[in-house]
Amino acid sequence: MGFWLELAASGLITGGIYAVVAIGLNLQYGLMRIMNISHGEFLMLGAYLTWLAYTVLGINPLASLLPVAVALFLLGLIVYALCFRRIARTAPSVEVIEARSLLVGFGLMFLVQNAAYLAWGADLRGYSFLAEPVEIAGARFMSNRLVVFAFAVGLSLVMLAVLRWTLIGKAVRAMMQSPAGAQLVGIDTTVLHPVVFGAGLALAGVAGGLLSMVYEISPSMGEPYTVTALIVITLGGLGSALGSLLGGFILGLVEAFGMHFTSPSLKMLLSYAVLIGVLLARPRGLFSR
Amino acid sequence: MNTREALAATLAAGALLAAMPWLASDFALALALSCLMYAGLAVSWAMFCGPTHYLSLATSAFFGIGAYVTAWGFGTLPYLGAVLVGGIAAAAFAALVGAAVLHLRGAYFAVITFGLGELVRHAITHFEKTYAHTVGRVISDPPEAATIYLTVLAVTLAAVATAIAVRASRLGFALVGIGADEVRAQTLGVDTRAMKVAAFTLSAFFAGALGAAMAVRWTYIEPLSVFNPFIGFQTVLIAMVGGAQTLVGPILSSVVFSLLTEFLRLRFPYAFLILLGTLLIILVLYLPGGIASLVSRLRRAHA
Repeated sequence: MGFWLELAASGLITGGIYAVVAIGLNLQYGLMRIMNISHGEFLMLGAYLTWLAYTVLGINPLASLLPVAVALFLLGLIVYALCFRRIARTAPSVEVIEARSLLVGFGLMFLVQNAAYLAWGADLRGYSFLAEPVEIAGARFMSNRLVVFAFAVGLSLVMLAVLRWTLIGKAVRAMMQSPAGAQLVGIDTTVLHPVVFGAGLALAGVAGGLLSMVYEISPSMGEPYTVTALIVITLGGLGSALGSLLGGFILGLVEAFGMHFTSPSLKMLLSYAVLIGVLLARPRGLFSR
Repeated sequence: MNTREALAATLAAGALLAAMPWLASDFALALALSCLMYAGLAVSWAMFCGPTHYLSLATSAFFGIGAYVTAWGFGTLPYLGAVLVGGIAAAAFAALVGAAVLHLRGAYFAVITFGLGELVRHAITHFEKTYAHTVGRVISDPPEAATIYLTVLAVTLAAVATAIAVRASRLGFALVGIGADEVRAQTLGVDTRAMKVAAFTLSAFFAGALGAAMAVRWTYIEPLSVFNPFIGFQTVLIAMVGGAQTLVGPILSSVVFSLLTEFLRLRFPYAFLILLGTLLIILVLYLPGGIASLVSRLRRAHA
């Protein structure tokens, strides 16, 4: 019993991280059609910032989550202003926006990832934080993992609440449903787009910070998370934050149980099998009506 | 330029380039080889993705499949046989996958095809580890540099010739129609699904053949190096920066890009990918129509 609980918990913990990364990417794509393939690189930046703050300045990783989010948010505003604003203004159609933003995303990926290699080298880095086991219902958990899980789920729920009940959340949802209609009722794209882009990067940064408490980090850690986030978005449906949260958990569980019954080297194969299955059966996502 | 003139020009360029191994230094030959490889990859990519506006990132999957045909078959198969089988294997894979995922569009398609490379890479890694108990394969007794060069040249020329022929064919018109408005193309009686699968398969053949031909350049083949996503990205970048709707654009930009990459790699070995990334962003933002649009703009300014 304890063993199955541990397996399920490990799936849910990775699933929680997937959800945070995917919600940010999903907002960017759903709102602006920006296919930000460099999303994971900002997760990596968040992880390195947290690691630096802990090892150099001795700041508790949990305390540095908020500064990391703010830093990544500001970085997001800058990246949006330098790269994506021009694409949105000059592209003749949505398809062109997607294609060009994908290319710019690749450019950013090369740029950020290799800048990180230059700055910190290719070695795996890590620190140990809250690495003592806790026993719950006959199952043993590392307490840092429980903290990571709580923060990931909490953050996702906060995002859902913001989208549902606040004015800015309503504006974002209105923009997704009908960009022209939303502009007619006075929603300002020039403010909303950079803010949502920045928020996406902030979420990625926090996810990176959380990951650095549990796993070792390296400049190339981001890319797999981008791909996984894209899979999660496909599972949950474009533009649906709740779908991303559930999709993240489903993928995390599938990976955890799948790896247990087959082999850890098949993790990516499992994710892709799920993705292809869903795309063939329900191309608009698992929860679409 | 009509089809016959274009084919004649391709043939003439090929005849000139075929003299390279006897005229140029080893370094220039290696550079020319990488230009040719990317020209072939970019042209074959643009064959399907240019007119239809699909964004396929599957090139590295096709390339890697071709390379692995060589890795497994070289020695039992002759070099040219491996190139042919590599192309056919990649084409068969593309036909199978294309039939399943070509109804998807936009970002979904891009993501799925990006995943394909990773999927095949993980599958091969797993297979090799579990059944062959090895990580990579050693190519012993590779062919001479001139043979490799001429083979890659032949495959690239064939890709260019096929692209020219496709543009003038019913298949080419159907692809343009699908790119403009798929539903309308269907209404006009185009079997869009069959056309898309056919073009996707055709473009995969050349990518696979190039992978098989280039594989002997590495003496040691492992999944991580031949399924390198960088090859796929670079192909898409070259084709789009050149102008994916045109034929000359991808060829021009593959030469520019290969020379530029080589120059940057030699001058700035550490910052080279950073520079490449920055350059790419600037190009997409300020020259969205590609290098080919620059040429036509200049021509218009002169007229």
